[in-house]
Amino acid sequence: MTLISFINAAVLAGTPLLLATLGEILTEKSGQLNLGVEGMMYMGAVSGLAAAWYTEKLIAPGWPAAFMALIISFIVGSLGALIYAFLTITLRANQNVTGLTLTIFGTGFAKFFGEVLSHKAGGYVTCADPTKAAFAKLDLPYLSSLPIVGKLFFNYNLLVYFAFIVAIVMAVVFYRTRAGLKLRAVGEDPAAADAAGIRVIRSKYLATIIGGGLCGIGGMYMSMVNQKGIWVPECVSGYGWLAVALVIFATWSPLRAIYCAIIFGGLTILSLYLRIPGLDLQLYGMLPFVVTIFVLIFTSIRQAKEHRMPKSCGVNYFREER
Amino acid sequence: MKKIIAILLASLMLLALVSCGEQEKVKDEQPAEEAVEPAGQESGSGEKVTLENIKLGFVHISDPSDMGYTYNHNLGTLKMKEALGLRDDQIINQYNIEEGASCETAIRELAEQGCNIIFATSFGFEDYCIKVAKDFPEIEFCHATGFKAKSSGLANMHNYFGKIYEARYLSGIVAGLATKSNKLGYVTAMPFAECISGYDAFYLGAKSVNPDVEMLVMYTMSWNDPTKEMQVAQALIDKGCDVIGQHCDSTAPATTAEANGVLHIGYNSDMREAAPNASLTSAVWDWSRYLLFAIDKYINGEEIPVDWSEGLKEGVVDITELSELAPEGAAEAVEAARKRIVEDGYEVFTGPLNDNQGKEILAEGEVYLDEQSAPAFEHVLEGITVFE
Repeated sequence: MTLISFINAAVLAGTPLLLATLGEILTEKSGQLNLGVEGMMYMGAVSGLAAAWYTEKLIAPGWPAAFMALIISFIVGSLGALIYAFLTITLRANQNVTGLTLTIFGTGFAKFFGEVLSHKAGGYVTCADPTKAAFAKLDLPYLSSLPIVGKLFFNYNLLVYFAFIVAIVMAVVFYRTRAGLKLRAVGEDPAAADAAGIRVIRSKYLATIIGGGLCGIGGMYMSMVNQKGIWVPECVSGYGWLAVALVIFATWSPLRAIYCAIIFGGLTILSLYLRIPGLDLQLYGMLPFVVTIFVLIFTSIRQAKEHRMPKSCGVNYFREER
Repeated sequence: MKKIIAILLASLMLLALVSCGEQEKVKDEQPAEEAVEPAGQESGSGEKVTLENIKLGFVHISDPSDMGYTYNHNLGTLKMKEALGLRDDQIINQYNIEEGASCETAIRELAEQGCNIIFATSFGFEDYCIKVAKDFPEIEFCHATGFKAKSSGLANMHNYFGKIYEARYLSGIVAGLATKSNKLGYVTAMPFAECISGYDAFYLGAKSVNPDVEMLVMYTMSWNDPTKEMQVAQALIDKGCDVIGQHCDSTAPATTAEANGVLHIGYNSDMREAAPNASLTSAVWDWSRYLLFAIDKYINGEEIPVDWSEGLKEGVVDITELSELAPEGAAEAVEAARKRIVEDGYEVFTGPLNDNQGKEILAEGEVYLDEQSAPAFEHVLEGITVFE
């Protein structure tokens, strides 16, 4: 029973990571290394909650509020990415520095507007029960109450299934469509892609902005699902950085990201369900990163091309420099 | 072309130099002003710092929107401000200061802005506080939850805290009556005496009304990691706990308890609004008591005690009003215990007590009393399982 609870908790812990990781994979596939995941998640977290809160006041609690939280967190996350895209793609600023700046900006953005919301609410910024229910775990007739299968497969909130679907769709787009092929070409060698008639700048912008939106949804998960629709200033607490590490762990593949996210999620909560005698609590916190280092070592030893970072990732593209 | 650029660049540099020079001038003027101020203060401490001109500085780990630890401290500040009729500019708050080298800068800034008393409210600020206190002997430094003021030997360094475990004892009574599985869960931050004495008292309260009760404790290893707190609460519920207590900053344990249909006892603020279907009551602080006390001492030119700690009796700690979810008889049981502590002077840590290895800590009738303001009782009691 503990094992089932553990897997269940691992999937829940992995889902925000998966969403943010998918966003970052999409971004990096276009050759942009956006380290602002944490910032965009924070922006999504506060705007998703704000959207739900205002929708409750203006329209109705429940599904409309949940839907608005999803949409607005996507839009605000992608606006964060748009800043990054404009600075790095159009103005060709250093990608690492811009990404780090976006992290700081997004965190400040969320804390500022979180406090504004708290003042407006005069205390806790809380969502009503129907909205909480929309983000709560499913309770399907028959299916959810099945002995083991129910808890393993049919006892999650809707965003978990949403994240899985996004991962599968992204994999199909990357490896089965022309658009995906073009995008990967841009990420590998933008000059060659440009020569082949692919619109490099447009692809980079699109991928970065959609990727930022996914990070925003991942952040919304932190405030709406993890914290159950209450504004908590530290709600993202480093998950953005975990997601950046997870991109490497998943070796830039959306499908591998699914199980890698669950493993990562599992490693972050391992200490709560399984204690290895002699292993300090602090060491458990290192596990996801230790695993990432090992993956990096192994993939670089194996020299497998399909497991590498997109070749132009992190390098700005100058058309005139070809 | 090159010449024009060179001329342009040169003039730019000149401009920059000029503007730098101006800045330096401004800088030159500032110390002159500052030099006057401390001098005024020194004679001022001889003459009088009154409520009219006293300046207070606060360093906080978070900001009041956390609705937890910092919110409580700030509530105390506001209450004190109203009681003394201070102006806005007499209180300087530094929010979101990390427990690292940056907090030294923050404390130093407050000292340089002419604060008379500086209150640092988070545990990790203590070492930095002592460092700055050495450089500013005319300023009083008060650090909450710490324990090093006495050993630092500085006359201007003080610790303050409260007997929060007395409030936890009361809230434990509610938990003990509410549990059906006889298994309490407790989300706590770190394996320090402050946390351990807290859950011990919580457990003793529960046990005083429910002898069969057990408790499971898990650490988050952070004062403020809401995601972890949510996950720990979930893990405790997965292990069969049906009342969750907490000693951490966010509302995550409360909302997680609510989502799983179990009950919850909060800390730092009334969490009924956050989790109306789970919250029974919360252990809370009234920090204004200490602030008023310390300011009063300072203004009258008396020494602020090195260690200060009061409890239920003086109203420094308490529990919030019980919610409708509280079990029958809880209010009466809490009142009886409150009477015992406040009027009869009952101490929470009274023997016989064994630790969870079966070793005797306190013999029958023996009483444990803290020597300093910060709680130091760090034996995990019988009946408590720490998952580590």
